[in-house]
Amino acid sequence: MMLDIRNLSIRYGAHLALDNATLNTRKGETLAILGANGAGKSSLLKAIAGIVPAAPGSSVKLDGEELLGLQPHEIVERGVIAVPEGRGVFGAMSVEENLLLGANPKRARQGELTRKSEVYDLFPRLAERRAQLVQTMSGGEQQMVAMGRALMSRPDLLLLDEPSLGLAPIVIGQMFKTLKRIKDAGLSILMVEQNVSASLKLADRGYLVEAGRIVGTGTASELKSNDAVQRAFLGGPAAPALS
Amino acid sequence: MLISTLMFGLVLGGTYALVALGLSMQYGISRIMNLAHGEFMIAAAFCAYVLFDFAGLSPLVTLLIAPLIGFGLSWLIYTVMMHPLVKRAANRGQLEADSILATFGLLFILQGIMLVVFGSDFTSYSYLNIPIDIFGVTIAVSRVVAFGLSLFLGLVLYVLITRSRWGATLRAVALSPASAPLVGIQVDKVARQAFAIGGALAASGGVLVSMFVTFSATGGVVFTMKALIVVIMGGVGNLLGALIAGLALGVIETFVTSYFDPGLSLASTYLLFIIVLLWRPQGLFGSVRS
Repeated sequence: MMLDIRNLSIRYGAHLALDNATLNTRKGETLAILGANGAGKSSLLKAIAGIVPAAPGSSVKLDGEELLGLQPHEIVERGVIAVPEGRGVFGAMSVEENLLLGANPKRARQGELTRKSEVYDLFPRLAERRAQLVQTMSGGEQQMVAMGRALMSRPDLLLLDEPSLGLAPIVIGQMFKTLKRIKDAGLSILMVEQNVSASLKLADRGYLVEAGRIVGTGTASELKSNDAVQRAFLGGPAAPALS
Repeated sequence: MLISTLMFGLVLGGTYALVALGLSMQYGISRIMNLAHGEFMIAAAFCAYVLFDFAGLSPLVTLLIAPLIGFGLSWLIYTVMMHPLVKRAANRGQLEADSILATFGLLFILQGIMLVVFGSDFTSYSYLNIPIDIFGVTIAVSRVVAFGLSLFLGLVLYVLITRSRWGATLRAVALSPASAPLVGIQVDKVARQAFAIGGALAASGGVLVSMFVTFSATGGVVFTMKALIVVIMGGVGNLLGALIAGLALGVIETFVTSYFDPGLSLASTYLLFIIVLLWRPQGLFGSVRS
């Protein structure tokens, strides 16, 4: 067991964004969190990363140690790294500088150069554009920078918030191929994604979130055939075959 | 005449640049508009004067001590006075307004202490006041040394900020404080560091300027204002811009003083400031936040 989340609630004033969520990920596992806009998926990731505070009684344990109450930089040092919605890259800096900053956590210093060549190997596009300012790059390339920067921190768990948002279909396809390689390298991934069919193809398991509550869970293939998921995200039940 | 004006201007501008770099660190990275910046400078100038006149210590030795004190004091001021403001500020605008009010008070506290201790008279001392000839211009060695050291310190800072990982973390906080924690940067710690370095730079500038300029306990405000003008002329957060703008301001002031009237030098500074604000509010060299 790697990440163990119990009774996680998140409040923004009177609004309950997440209500008593309980979920877990195992080592090397990829989890997809599915749900409509405003269901509380992003809040879940932000609470794990320490960016928004959780309500009392919540618990997020990484290998048995409580993460809640830690500062975001302390959580990064524990090996949990977030790629937020909108990417959060340093636009006025070069690709190389973004990666340099990615390796800012102490845990990332060991083997930094090897990791950088691995990142450039994973994203050859970035290797061609090391000196380019990130704000002058396309959305897909900026997403590569955000992921490459996250990988530079030597994470055990990658939190991805809507990585495909605003990207062209062909770019999304490439991104999921890259994610598959990252997953195969042994990293755990917790992903919030609107592109349900692609994320269920990558994920091992998933959770379904509705109005702040976890309403379903299962393996990726179970979720793919789940009626609620079908109705909400995959364009209704499969049409009966003709003939 | 032309070359000598240029050289005297560059010397003055070198110290302006250094003090402006300090303000730029505090404003660009820590988001604190420190109106008491010039008081730190004047305090260091008095420190150099006292150590030189009463203990026979060279200002070049004070240049090693005063910045450390400036760093420590600024660290303390940030922790005690600024941190609560940073914590409660809902947005950047509120922090700016709060810090301007808070440091406005700090200005008068520091100025008051200096007035009590040193009085309001102009002070100066004579160090390395040996004439040398450079490009046919007779100039005091103290000015040449002050210029060289200002430029050296400014460039060292510039290289550290633009070429090291530590510098990149500072720039990351300046550019996007919201994203910085994502790469494990402790924004609060970086802001405190930058504020303290700003204090150290003000102190360095004060020691260097005291080597060739007369100063008084109430003179800090003018330096703060000039530093602010240099920061805005160079582009907020643009260190190289501040360095160049500082040198330019020194030269312009010296030209006005020698060709028109010394009384107009401050007026010319503000005229330049107004022109920049109207014509290029992002600064002559652009802001890093563009």
